[in-house]
Amino acid sequence: MIQAAEHQARAMQVIMIGLGEEKFALDAGLVREIIDPVPVTRVAGARAFVPSVINVRGNVIPLADLRIRFGMPQLENSADTRIVVIEIELDNEPVLVGVTADKVYEVTEISQTDVQQTPRVGMHWKPEFIRFIAKWREEFVIVPNMERILN
Amino acid sequence: MSAMDPTEVFRQEASELFEVLEGALLDLGQRPDDRELVDSAFRALHTIKGSGAMFGFDKVASFTHEFETAFDRVRKGEIKPTQELISVALAAKDYIRALIEDPQSTDDIIGEAILDDLKRFVSSDRPAAGVAEIVEAPPLAPVHSKQAGWHLYLEFESHILRNGSNPLDLLDDLCKLGPCFVVPVTDGIPFLDEMDPEDCYLKWDVKLHAACDKAAIDDVFMFVSDEMKLTLSPLEQVEAPAPAPLFQLLDEEPAPVVEMPTPVVEVVAAPVAVEPAAKAEPKPAVKPEAKLESKPEAKAEAKRDDRGIATVRVQAERLDELMDRVGELVIAQARLTQLAASGSDLSIKMIAEEIERLASSLRDTTMGARMVPIGSLFGRFRRLIHDLSRDLSKPVEFVTTGEDTELDKTMIECLADPLVHLIRNAIDHGIEDTATRMANGKTEQGRIELAAVHSGAQVLVTVKDNGGGLNTARIRAKAEEQGLIAAGAVLTDHEIHQFLFHPGFSTAQTISALSGRGVGMDVVKRTIENMRGSIDLSTRSGEGTTVTLRLPLTLAIIEGLLIRVGEGRYIIPLSAVEECIELTAEDERSRGRNFLNVRGKLVPFLKLREIMTASGTPDRHQKTIIISTGETHVGLVVDQIIGNHQTVIKSLSKLHSDVTIFSGATILGDGTAALILDVAQLVALAQSKVEKQHISEAA
Repeated sequence: MIQAAEHQARAMQVIMIGLGEEKFALDAGLVREIIDPVPVTRVAGARAFVPSVINVRGNVIPLADLRIRFGMPQLENSADTRIVVIEIELDNEPVLVGVTADKVYEVTEISQTDVQQTPRVGMHWKPEFIRFIAKWREEFVIVPNMERILN
Repeated sequence: MSAMDPTEVFRQEASELFEVLEGALLDLGQRPDDRELVDSAFRALHTIKGSGAMFGFDKVASFTHEFETAFDRVRKGEIKPTQELISVALAAKDYIRALIEDPQSTDDIIGEAILDDLKRFVSSDRPAAGVAEIVEAPPLAPVHSKQAGWHLYLEFESHILRNGSNPLDLLDDLCKLGPCFVVPVTDGIPFLDEMDPEDCYLKWDVKLHAACDKAAIDDVFMFVSDEMKLTLSPLEQVEAPAPAPLFQLLDEEPAPVVEMPTPVVEVVAAPVAVEPAAKAEPKPAVKPEAKLESKPEAKAEAKRDDRGIATVRVQAERLDELMDRVGELVIAQARLTQLAASGSDLSIKMIAEEIERLASSLRDTTMGARMVPIGSLFGRFRRLIHDLSRDLSKPVEFVTTGEDTELDKTMIECLADPLVHLIRNAIDHGIEDTATRMANGKTEQGRIELAAVHSGAQVLVTVKDNGGGLNTARIRAKAEEQGLIAAGAVLTDHEIHQFLFHPGFSTAQTISALSGRGVGMDVVKRTIENMRGSIDLSTRSGEGTTVTLRLPLTLAIIEGLLIRVGEGRYIIPLSAVEECIELTAEDERSRGRNFLNVRGKLVPFLKLREIMTASGTPDRHQKTIIISTGETHVGLVVDQIIGNHQTVIKSLSKLHSDVTIFSGATILGDGTAALILDVAQLVALAQSKVEKQHISEAA
């Protein structure tokens, strides 16, 4: 059990997405599908980081905007924009959420040796939203804590 | 999904049987002389015992057997079912249910205590019935041992052979119980050219000369009991079968109608094979008495037969899946219709129309399949009222009407808890105690009516009591004490009564085990609103209270009105829409005073553009849609009314649970999502705005 967990921590399948200038690594286990942008429906009165809902295969799911959560500027949709549909647990119930990504790079593996301690200073976002920071191709990538971000 | 756990099947079956049993027992309390009720209770017991044994619930089988044995005296009419007896019988039923559902939680001692009680009640008035006993058969289980045997009349469904059951094998099994004399009844055989070789036309008349239990015979036919009619009556003869008495027996055989000698097809294990010479002469006039006696049972059996043919048991989740598929189909069809309308291809338009028609009838059929009569729910409350009225010593008459009103299955399940609350409240707070009732010149017995009735696209469920009514002054005092209203505020009675739905609000001076904790009514309200229903209270001091629940027919698909506000499109449930009117420039100008004059009535209105923070310029001609919940009317100002829309309801995720003005979402013809407005919330919003205005004006 412990060994398996260690192995999991050591090698983690992730999907690299780009938000603005930053790169984020989403745990591939969370990701259900990646789709092209679809028309969104704004939900009046909703919290800023889940401003709208979309139709994904007959299900109406919320569309979250991590850029708002991280205080980043919002870009217009481009040819690279995708929606990553992830499944997270909220109050012990699985919930499908769409996440807008300015670009989706690739599916890759990051290993534990690449994991860096989250620095206390020099970060312009809240540390509780970050699981850890890893190194990928000489770049620092953020592995976000989706449950906390969306709660 | 494919193979269901047989134990689970038994549990399901048993829970239905429990309902039958409980219903019959409770009815018996009202009409102790109704033989059919006794029989139906007995039959339910018997089936529980039989299938219990089959699925390895041995404790259930043995306890039920004892229960059945004790109850047998009631069935024989030797003792009257008294209230006490019925209470014990209900306790016994609960015990069996516990044995099936959670055997660990029960204790044999409880079972024994119940049985002792049962036996005591059953044997208490033995002296009175003593004389009859000697003449009639002696009571309880040993009764069968003194019988010479049984007279059976077997009638199978014609298709029984196709299911692989062979009546002859069953007769063989029957013969293992003891010597049998089997005579086939051939009057059902048609002419050769009308005959279907796969049908079974024969019936059998069997005399079983064995002192066996009735249960043993039922066991033989256990697997085909739904496909046959079995008429059982005890044989009175004391003698063991011998050639001479056999001839005598034959004489009283039900004479075949056909004018030909009936051949004896099988005489198995009987000492002598008898030529049917003696019974060759037809005697159509003579009918065996025994058959007449068992008629009610046969009739009830036939009723069950009919039901067996007419219904198919379907797993609830399959129906849910079907509903989902139909929902998707309706959405796809809407897209097709939109596409066809934008093109000019006539043949595609025709197909689109055809599919629209099919989809809508498929939707109706599917929704119909999910409809369940509400009577199944009402039945449960009879026990509740029986127990409550005993515990509180308030005699209560319980009347239900409209049991066959149909509601969506999921709604019925959701309704159970709110109704329990309402009924408890009605008995505990509504109905006064006997002394007060007498003093007020009312009947000693209180009355609670539970009614369901269709009203347009809604179902109204009412709980009505003839108790003291709501004490408006006390509710008001309590609301002031809790700081919900300022002392001396001007409120209508209706507004005051709304405080009852406030969380933690209770006027009961003492907290009883039943109610008075102030949780309940708010839960009721919330549950009903979650079902997109509403709740109304009306009361007359001294005459009682009526709580009306207005519920939509289904939870899955509704008729909606599609509207546009700015660039967003929204759905308003059509059931809430009263009328659509144009907002005149005059109404528009009266800023700060958001009231419309609708035929002399002031109606507050909300501008959806403001609520939705819509961008762009508003349409020149703003429309107002008047919506209502119960008595309250509110106008919603929108940019455009697009039209009717078949709305498949999708719930909003947890991430949007803080947004209260929307009750869900749906998918429009072009594949985008649209939000469904929560009418009750909008009305509340409008009212709070009005109140704020009052306050600011007063200040």
